[in-house]
Amino acid sequence: MRMRLPGITVAVALVLAACGSATSGGTSTSSSSYQGKTINLGAILSLTGAGGVYGPSSRKGMDLAVEKINNSGGVNGAKLALDTEDDASDKAQSAQVAQRLIQQGQLLALLGPTLSNSAVAVHPLAESFKIPILAVSTTGIHIVPDCNYPKTDPCKYVFRDSLGEEAAIPANIKVYSQKAHPKTGVLLVANDDKFSSDGGKIVQGAVGQYGIQLLDTVQFSKTTADFAPPVTRAVQKNPDVIFITSLGGIPAKIMIEARKQGFTGQFLGGNGFNTAVVSKQAGAAGKGAQSGSGWYINNTFPSNAAFVKAYRDKYGSDPDQFAAQGYAGILILADSAKRANLTFTDTAGDRTRLRDAMEKVNIDTPLGRFQFTSTHDVKQTIWIIQMDGAGGFTLVTSVSPS
Amino acid sequence: MDFFIQLFTDPVLFYNSHELLIAQVGVNSILAISLFVTFYSGQLTLANAGFMAVGAYTTVIMSLYLPLPLPVDILVGTLLAGAVGFLVGLPVLRLRGIFLAIATIGFVEALRLGVILNVPITGEGQGLKNPGADPLGGIVPILVSLPIIAYLVWRLTRAKVGHAWAAIREDELAASSNGINVPLYKMIAFVIGALLAGYAGALETHINFFVDPTEYSVTRAIQILTFAVAGGTTNVLGPIVGALFLTSLPEIIRQASAYRDVVNGVILILVIIFRPQGIVAGGGLAINRPRWWPQNWRLRGRAASAN
Amino acid sequence: MTQQLLNAIFIGSIYALFAVGYTLVFGVLDVLNLAHSAVFMLGAVITYSLVALHGVPFIFAALVAVLVCGLLGLVIEFVALRPLRRRNAPPISALISTIGLALIFVAIVEQATPGTLFSWLWQDGANSVRFPTGAVPNPTYHVAGLTLEGTKLGILATSVVLMLVLGYVIRFTQVGRALRAVAENRRAATLLGIDVDRIFASTLFLSSALGGLAGLLFGLALSDISPYIGRDQVELKGLAVIVLGGMGSIPGAVVGGYLLGLIEVLAFVRFGSNVEAGVAFAALFLMLVLRPQGLFGARLKERL
Repeated sequence: MRMRLPGITVAVALVLAACGSATSGGTSTSSSSYQGKTINLGAILSLTGAGGVYGPSSRKGMDLAVEKINNSGGVNGAKLALDTEDDASDKAQSAQVAQRLIQQGQLLALLGPTLSNSAVAVHPLAESFKIPILAVSTTGIHIVPDCNYPKTDPCKYVFRDSLGEEAAIPANIKVYSQKAHPKTGVLLVANDDKFSSDGGKIVQGAVGQYGIQLLDTVQFSKTTADFAPPVTRAVQKNPDVIFITSLGGIPAKIMIEARKQGFTGQFLGGNGFNTAVVSKQAGAAGKGAQSGSGWYINNTFPSNAAFVKAYRDKYGSDPDQFAAQGYAGILILADSAKRANLTFTDTAGDRTRLRDAMEKVNIDTPLGRFQFTSTHDVKQTIWIIQMDGAGGFTLVTSVSPS
Repeated sequence: MDFFIQLFTDPVLFYNSHELLIAQVGVNSILAISLFVTFYSGQLTLANAGFMAVGAYTTVIMSLYLPLPLPVDILVGTLLAGAVGFLVGLPVLRLRGIFLAIATIGFVEALRLGVILNVPITGEGQGLKNPGADPLGGIVPILVSLPIIAYLVWRLTRAKVGHAWAAIREDELAASSNGINVPLYKMIAFVIGALLAGYAGALETHINFFVDPTEYSVTRAIQILTFAVAGGTTNVLGPIVGALFLTSLPEIIRQASAYRDVVNGVILILVIIFRPQGIVAGGGLAINRPRWWPQNWRLRGRAASAN
Repeated sequence: MTQQLLNAIFIGSIYALFAVGYTLVFGVLDVLNLAHSAVFMLGAVITYSLVALHGVPFIFAALVAVLVCGLLGLVIEFVALRPLRRRNAPPISALISTIGLALIFVAIVEQATPGTLFSWLWQDGANSVRFPTGAVPNPTYHVAGLTLEGTKLGILATSVVLMLVLGYVIRFTQVGRALRAVAENRRAATLLGIDVDRIFASTLFLSSALGGLAGLLFGLALSDISPYIGRDQVELKGLAVIVLGGMGSIPGAVVGGYLLGLIEVLAFVRFGSNVEAGVAFAALFLMLVLRPQGLFGARLKERL
């Protein structure tokens, strides 16, 4: 039922606007043309299923942002309306939900989906329908600028605010090598998991630049029961660094097993390291494990501090990077909507206008100051963090965008 | 409920918003029919997920490297799946019942883990981008193929082949002693199942921009099994109904989509226990009269009582 | 290399324990109970939730979990298997019905996040968790360049003891004899006055209790508890084990378990991981084709 309402709202608003002064709807940036209108957004998230550990966080961040914006005057007077749908972590379902949302809603933009696996189905769909879509949690390759849509390359409507591994991993390795000058490393990668194997490729490409010799690449299945065999193989080579590019419970297990087997070197990882859950799971074994992240909870600059406080007040728990990126996503869309001269009558045109405005976004978010690169990828400070062994993180340093 | 309201009040918009869903239902129906064919001859195989993978990957790899038109790619994918089906069937069809099921499970996993994940041309764990994808147009071949396939399979079940299959299903020994060439007919069923599954896999890539190995695991095979069993294994409509119902379920009951698997499992159990012939079939419910149920109250259908 | 062999022995014990439950049911009831892997997972999940969410000491929680899993075995019997037996349904139906139950069990745990129906059971949804540190003592010994973990040794010992006990029960007790009789020939056993239904129920109880135990030991030693540990990691491998060892044969399951552990580790050392997983299934396939009754199987019941 919720989907019918925005359409009616827009219709009523249009009638009212038409009855109002004839000069207000136009090309000027007059904010009165936004008054009483609704900006419809849709989010496709994995609220259940295997990705269901990430989706709800994104949603909470987004809801918080929508609430905050609507309560402080909206976007030049227009309200944000966010329709969140679950794709159950299933690629086919994600695409079906996306199609339905796009065709039926008067949506101006989409957010999501949560998993890279679903993104490869949904992003090209959005591109073919020419609706802007902002990825808020996918950090692998083939998200931007290459979204898999055969007819346009680079994709023009796909963006992301989740810092990609292609930027984060090399930055992390660089920071570490400048500090400790490691000579050798071993890479542990789950080769039946797209995210992990993407990350593995990036590691392989980056280590040469910093003088680290990759002694071995140990592949395992993401459903491996016992990590002792792959870890044994890695540890026996006695590397300075062990690279881990997996997600979920795997990094913690590898770290614990490696420490058990006597490994005393450094763990370097990717996005899989960046949540409190993993830090807690790894416990003491993970102390010092370092990775590049798009967000750090204890950053004190106002746009983050306010976010963290508001989140804690509303939900009673700490936010994680998915919440932060979801929140930032809404901020980005709202800011772009403000500058986009939306007509609220021509949905297709508005979507393109919104897209154009997004390309120029430059705002403060909990992630830091945020802009898009020319390929719609993330341009922000990279926070290098390490696990503190007690379920949290400390900031090592930050790397400014080039 | 929005789902049905829209279906009846605004079919055009419904179609536009649910094209992918309809296409997926079509693909799942063809897959369920492929399982139906082997079921009909008394064999429980879960290898269809593997044949699907063969069809899908072949189509995509061909369209990536060879400048042939898409229908040719699909055809080759289907035929290759059939060939693989033949090769797999040779050793495996001597086995019966559970052993056949397990062997086919072994095949699917060995294919996925051993071959797909290790041969570079398949993109390994990363999957492959599919340049031939056309989600909006891809539905057409699916909607066209489905009735044709259903009709053909239906004719088969009515023909000599079908009767042979039914005989084999009922009692293999008796069939063989009646002069029916059991291994031959079993193989025919198996290969037809493989062809259909390969075709479905190839069609599915037409609506998907991406192929990756997680799509073709035993879990998928079990899902297809659910469609076929719930829908009914006595006639061709059964698998189609089963696929239709179970694929659309998450869309229909969006609020309960979280519990989709629970619903799937419950449906499976309920069907298998109380209505083993599936939704689309004759006969009533197979309810056993519990010991305490009064003798003279009548229960519909076959009250097979152990008393 | 020796370290890898130790790894093999350890994982082999888990496979063996799991497979014994599988094979017990197959031997006595002629049914492949695919809900066994779900019970495996529930053993771990229940123990975890008792320890982590409700503060129960580990040993106690483990005992409760094993008991509950045994009861779940009874649920499997009464809900999924008995009604089918009553109307002489073909064995395939039992297979499918246990698949349905497995789907339900996994889905329930997967959906259990704070605020949902089952959050008392499990809170982490699809996340993978481990026992809170300190819940179970786990001293690690370094001997002759090898790493020996307390929990893994404990598991090895427990598995061996259990299998010996089971062997004893089957061979030398009244119940065991009744089990073997029913497995041999159901009708004859009935004629001998054995209550076959009760034997079936006991078998399922025992098998599921063992499965649950295997699950919680797995979760303990490998620090991995999630809704998927049954499905992803042991279900199909368990199948491979009982095929290798011979379906219906308990010594076969044990030997098969260790054999598979060995094959996997050797394949991993030689070729790397995914070939390892493929190897298990290749072995299964070959064994089925060449020698369907497995290494020790005598119980090749074919439905003619």
